[in-house]
Amino acid sequence: MFEAGVLNVVLFLPLVGAALLLVSPTARDDFTRRLTLAVMIVQLALAAWLYARFDANVPGLQFETRVPWIAGWGVNYQIGLDGYNILLVLMTAFLGPLVVAGAFSAITKDVKLFYAMVFLIQFAMMGAFVAQDLFLFYIFWETMLIPMFLMIGIWGGERRIYATIKFFLYTAFGSILMLAAVIYLVYSLQQTTGVVSFAFADLVKARLPLDVQSWLLAAFALSFAIKVPMVPLHTWLPDAHVEAPTPGSVILAGVLLKMGTYGFMKLGFPLFPDATQLFTPALMTLAVISIVYGACLALVQDDIKKIIAYSSISHLGYVMLGLLSLELVGIQGAVIQMVSHGLVAGGLFLMVGMIYERCHSRELAAYGGLAKLLPVYSVFFMILTLASVGLPTTSGFTGEFLVLMGAFKAAWPLHLLGNSLPLVLAVVAVTGVVLGALYMLRFALTFLFGAVKAPHHSERHVLADLNSREKAILGLIVAAVFALGLFPDEPMRKTELAAKAYKELVSTPRLPGGKP
Amino acid sequence: MISHAVLTAMLPEHLLLLGIVLLVALEIAGRWQRAALALALVFVGAAALAAACLSASGYAAAPFGGHFSVDPAGLLAKAMVLALALPVLLMSRDDFADGEFPLLLLSSLYGVCLMQSADSMLTLFLGLEIMSLPVYVLVLLAYRRPQSAEAALKYLVLGGAATAAFLMGTSLLYGGSGSMAITTFSNALASTDSMARAAVVLVILAFFLKGAIVPFHAWAPDAYEGASVPVTAYMAVLVKAAVILAVVRLFGQAKLASPMLELMAVLPLVSIVWGNLAAMRQPSLRRMIAYSSIAHAGYLFYALLGEPAGRLQAVAFYVLAYGLLNLLAFAALPPAANDQERDRLDNLKGLFHRSPFAALMIGIAMLSLAGIPPFPGFVAKFLIFKNVMAAGYTTYAVLGLVGSYLGIYFYLRVIQFMFMSPDAPVAVDSRPRHLALAASLVCLAAATWVSVFPGWVIAGF
Repeated sequence: MFEAGVLNVVLFLPLVGAALLLVSPTARDDFTRRLTLAVMIVQLALAAWLYARFDANVPGLQFETRVPWIAGWGVNYQIGLDGYNILLVLMTAFLGPLVVAGAFSAITKDVKLFYAMVFLIQFAMMGAFVAQDLFLFYIFWETMLIPMFLMIGIWGGERRIYATIKFFLYTAFGSILMLAAVIYLVYSLQQTTGVVSFAFADLVKARLPLDVQSWLLAAFALSFAIKVPMVPLHTWLPDAHVEAPTPGSVILAGVLLKMGTYGFMKLGFPLFPDATQLFTPALMTLAVISIVYGACLALVQDDIKKIIAYSSISHLGYVMLGLLSLELVGIQGAVIQMVSHGLVAGGLFLMVGMIYERCHSRELAAYGGLAKLLPVYSVFFMILTLASVGLPTTSGFTGEFLVLMGAFKAAWPLHLLGNSLPLVLAVVAVTGVVLGALYMLRFALTFLFGAVKAPHHSERHVLADLNSREKAILGLIVAAVFALGLFPDEPMRKTELAAKAYKELVSTPRLPGGKP
Repeated sequence: MISHAVLTAMLPEHLLLLGIVLLVALEIAGRWQRAALALALVFVGAAALAAACLSASGYAAAPFGGHFSVDPAGLLAKAMVLALALPVLLMSRDDFADGEFPLLLLSSLYGVCLMQSADSMLTLFLGLEIMSLPVYVLVLLAYRRPQSAEAALKYLVLGGAATAAFLMGTSLLYGGSGSMAITTFSNALASTDSMARAAVVLVILAFFLKGAIVPFHAWAPDAYEGASVPVTAYMAVLVKAAVILAVVRLFGQAKLASPMLELMAVLPLVSIVWGNLAAMRQPSLRRMIAYSSIAHAGYLFYALLGEPAGRLQAVAFYVLAYGLLNLLAFAALPPAANDQERDRLDNLKGLFHRSPFAALMIGIAMLSLAGIPPFPGFVAKFLIFKNVMAAGYTTYAVLGLVGSYLGIYFYLRVIQFMFMSPDAPVAVDSRPRHLALAASLVCLAAATWVSVFPGWVIAGF
């Protein structure tokens, strides 16, 4: 009971923080920053405590709260932690204080409104992860758009209006079709079983004919695939990332994109298993295309933010591949990869922001030899680059390796049966790792080595290396990256039962007339 | 005991009438004109309270057999509509200092109430006319603006056309059935007789005209633009609410069947799409709200596709959510040197830096009107489309949702102007506006309540 209360506190703390900002004195920006940071740290501490208390041997929900909300429609306020979301909740809480601390110097205009937006998006993201009721999930899912819309639009770069409206309209289109599917799904559940409920646990009992499943999955998948984003629905992402302010990019890459893959894992695939089987070849192909195409695009970018943006598309392709492999190791790899990408891409965006604050340029060609100029910065940058490439001992390795292992494990028996597509796709996916090394190392090579050059740098005005605040932020991220790379056992144990449940749900046919 | 039932069942109407009489007396006396607003507030509030109390006690009665009846759900709807008039009164102080506005508003509200309880076409007609006639005058109250007369005339002529269509339809219904009861309409809906069909189409047409459904919408943008802000708010919210609630009452328990089904689905759908598309290009806030209200009328009429039992619930919730947030936007609209200036969307640029509170309020209102959660507009839209889908019209529901997607852009544009654009050079009017502020706070509090506890409202109907 007490722990369930703590989870509620973790969820609503950012909202309380936003309310505190509203009543706090306007003029003192420093106070606003410290207050936000303090609230975020409390949230992280509570989330970490919940993580420690989370029992890996209990299947299903823990720390659950369930209160009727809209009684007539079977909508409950139902939240809880399970193997699906435990790592993502911890990661979201972990990135919160780092985003806030990273924004200390990045955001100087309308500071109070900005931190209120950070609080709101933190609230919405946390809510979407812990929600166990589809109606509640949808509300959080959509609410997320509003603070991000304002964040890009107010504090963004030159083409911010274009980027933010594109972001909003793109994602809202997916959502509106998903809404139609949600209504239809709940209505069908009521028709077939007589149960009026939005609870995930009830919805997975719906037995729908294949064509209905296919339509509904298509609607859900459209919404989630836009968020991931999967090629060819990715075109909003580079614009949004480039124009977003640093903290916005960190939130976007770190957590928001995981919403898509989490949605597939928690909802899309388990709700419509038969349609998923039908769509798997197509989705897998798209995932592999995302891996390779994203990597190729990252290879030719001149804007450093775009390199990381396209690398995100590539890295999240692995997550999709792992989820679709339906092998335990692949699924667990996908979860690890989600967290790993959140840390690594978040860290890289923070680093890009740090250099941008000093030099006011995002053009790769404008930089060179930073290793001589900013040694501490370069060490951190190199570590994160290698983590992104997937060097063993870093989290990137754990995730990608497990995913590829799962993909091959699933593909081999099919190959023996004469279906070689999964095997071909798995092989192509491996080339993505090579391409990943290529674009990240090209980036690091130009950036850190060679002749020293940087905008706004001269003999008289030497660039300052990282200050202690920046060192602390990056130190924490790097520590987490290594922790996940060296000791993946504990997080994997906590997600194992959920991965098994997911596999069971997706691989069991659920057409009408089957065994209950 | 009959007189007792007349007293109790019509208590909200009686209170309004008493208010009207007192307001007229004030006008005649020619003194204490500033008390008119307070008086109106008291009586509208009392009427709303009376309706709510009667509803809560489960009161149902039919004091004039076959013409007028009340039941708890209808009374609650009446209370809700009356309560929505309070912010309109509060925000009217800046535009209208004397007694005309409250007097006309109360008269119109009397008609609104009458329509919600009508059992015969005659009562319905009386309500419709009592509601409409003061509004023609209200539009004209902004006579300092040149568009005002044009707007009022346009509204009057098209309102007259609606009246004519309604009367023609009613007479055909009476000719066919020999009865004036509103059930003749729902019976005629199912009939294949061509006279009955013509009657139904004429009556529906009258309501489409009043509710501004495409292609009968052309008066709305002009009328909304020509009127002053409180009157626009009244037309966009209360008149629309009264019309749609009356239509729900008129349709009663009838389920739609072809070909009326197509009429009731396609025209609202076109309204949704056209209203949202046309709103994108409007330079003034009131014209934009007019087109947005055309789209919202589309959603509201869509509700009739749903099962009869759930219609009132869906429509009432929608009216509440839509009304509160629309009123919030109007109440928070910052004042300007003149009415014309106040209206231009360009003048909202950079509003967040001039007046953060107003910008936040208008922003919330826009997002809710766009149907983005967590604001109440979302639950309202959800409820309507849920009912449409549950009735089996999946295609129409999906098309309607996609149509509603088209509307997101122009609401976002307002937010973009307020938060993301550089300041517009606007002469700031620093008159204190305590009453308008009170109106926006009331709306905000109610909207928050509705979005946190939607079930509480839904359970009432």
